[in-house]
Amino acid sequence: MRFDRVWEIAKKDMASVRRHRYVLYGLVVMPLIFAIVVPMITILPFLSAEVAGDNLPPFAPPGFSVKQATILAMVSLLSLIFMFIPAFVPSVIASYTFVGEKINKQLEPLLATPTTDSELLLGKALGAFLPAVGVTFASFTGMVILVDLLTLPIFGYPVLPDLLSLVILFVYCPLIAILSVSVSVFISSKVNDVRAATQLSGVSVLPVLGFYFLFLGGLLKLDWVELALFAALLVLIDAGLFYLSKMTFQREEILTKWK
Amino acid sequence: MIRLEGLTRRFNGRTAVDGLTFRVREGEIFGLLGPNGAGKTTTVRMLCCLIRPSEGRAFVGGYEVGREAMKIREIVGLLPESPGLYGELSAYRNLDFYARLYGVPKQRREENIERFLKMMDLWDRRNDPVGSFSKGMQQKIAIARSMVHDPKVLFLDEPTAALAPDSAKVVRDFILELKHEKRTIFICTHNLYEAERICDRVAIINTKLITLGSPSQLQREFGSGKTEVQIKNLGSRILHAVKKVKGVLKVEVSGNKLLIQSKDPETVNPRVVEAIVKNGGKILYVTRGAHGLEEAYLKLVGKNEV
Ligand SMILES: Nc1ncnc2c1ncn2[C@@H]1O[C@H](COP(=O)(O)OP(=O)(O)OP(=O)(O)O)[C@@H](O)[C@H]1O
Ligand SMILES: [Mg+2]
Repeated sequence: MRFDRVWEIAKKDMASVRRHRYVLYGLVVMPLIFAIVVPMITILPFLSAEVAGDNLPPFAPPGFSVKQATILAMVSLLSLIFMFIPAFVPSVIASYTFVGEKINKQLEPLLATPTTDSELLLGKALGAFLPAVGVTFASFTGMVILVDLLTLPIFGYPVLPDLLSLVILFVYCPLIAILSVSVSVFISSKVNDVRAATQLSGVSVLPVLGFYFLFLGGLLKLDWVELALFAALLVLIDAGLFYLSKMTFQREEILTKWK
Repeated sequence: MIRLEGLTRRFNGRTAVDGLTFRVREGEIFGLLGPNGAGKTTTVRMLCCLIRPSEGRAFVGGYEVGREAMKIREIVGLLPESPGLYGELSAYRNLDFYARLYGVPKQRREENIERFLKMMDLWDRRNDPVGSFSKGMQQKIAIARSMVHDPKVLFLDEPTAALAPDSAKVVRDFILELKHEKRTIFICTHNLYEAERICDRVAIINTKLITLGSPSQLQREFGSGKTEVQIKNLGSRILHAVKKVKGVLKVEVSGNKLLIQSKDPETVNPRVVEAIVKNGGKILYVTRGAHGLEEAYLKLVGKNEV
């Protein structure tokens, strides 16, 4: 594996994909919404109003006043929905760099170069992974600052980052981005339309949705064990899917079998 | 430099390339001719290790296709059927990216890119996105891309198909210049005029190999050997004299032109010219009658139609 080649491919993909409208949406608009709009509408209503004790969500942490517990519950939800960014953004980029390049016949000259299949796949995967993770981090930082500013008067200390948010940011988000890229590679070999590929890659949000709803329903306490289990589950899924995408990305099959 | 031994490729039971066996010498410009769907692109793809042969073997630069794919990719350049450039990136960036993937050192990279862009007359547009270029300009960039790493063997799949006559000439001259650098060039083309002009040898295929030889050899063997002579003062005396020349099979007249058929034009034609001049004829032009290679090609491909 020659990492300079891998890096060239990733760099090229990141440069050539920047101008597409959908990608821009994924890289700019969506993160802004997650960093600013979503925190505002989830947190703001609870800051001023009196919160009644009887409709406390099942996942609110114990040991706080009703109002604080409600806000903390909302903050956890906020952290969780950040996992949608790495589930979504890589699939948009990868749809362009795999399906788009397949349709525009840009893969043939690339496959003729003396790069190995693994270098090509890893380069292209990184080209989708890095912007997604970068944008997730940036957007997360924005969200953390905004939430802390809003909630400081109520708690007297910054509530974020907490354990959950750090695990989400540094463990779950990268793992989910890998999942999303792998799914996209597989789908790219079957589909001949960038938008269809983006939509089909939507299956990448399934684990995120599952986790999210289990938490909403109060079935998860989000202690160490559960967090570790979910991480392990993601690692397993990633390993399987990455293997699948490596099997799919076979140079001598791409020009003949990728329909 | 290139050796095919029964190279065969089937797609879902249908044979696209059937048992091709021939050699291409080092430093040669070799043309692969054939009708649409004859298997030219498939052959090139196999030789560049982009698709696997179903049967048979092939060697490029001494390396075996399939087993030593990486070595082959390092020494060959490919111009595919469609240019496949990155439309959002500049011409320069497109070439630079490929040069880096081929591991060309910085200085050589810059020299080559500049040289080829200047040669293709696109140096001034080097910073424009390729997507804004015309089809022919893109084709030129793609040709430059196939060259950025100084490949020993160059595969060009219909290099001049999208080009205006002047650009096609630039490309042809470019190919001839590469020949002087001792590179082996393998061209798929439909343009018989071009094949005749630049190829040392051509193979005509239609799934199977039909024939192989130098353009003039094929013309001699398969052409009808017609010669056209345009004469200022064509009269019955001259016509009569030409008909009597030894080796002339048939003479047709149209306007002030004679269309002369003979078994072996290269020995008969000088005698014909002599006879005309002797009888006071003022010769304007002596040219090949029907287009030589084209005639041979149509005859061969027509005969082998399934
Ligand atoms: N990926 C593929 N899957 C199935 N059949 C294919 C594939 N590629 C080529 N073929 C078939 O192989 C045959 C040869 O095709 P090829 O593209 O090699 O012809 P060609 O000589 O390059 O034609 P053209 O002059 O039109 O470019 C055709 O019948 C084509 O349909
Ligand atoms: Mg072709």
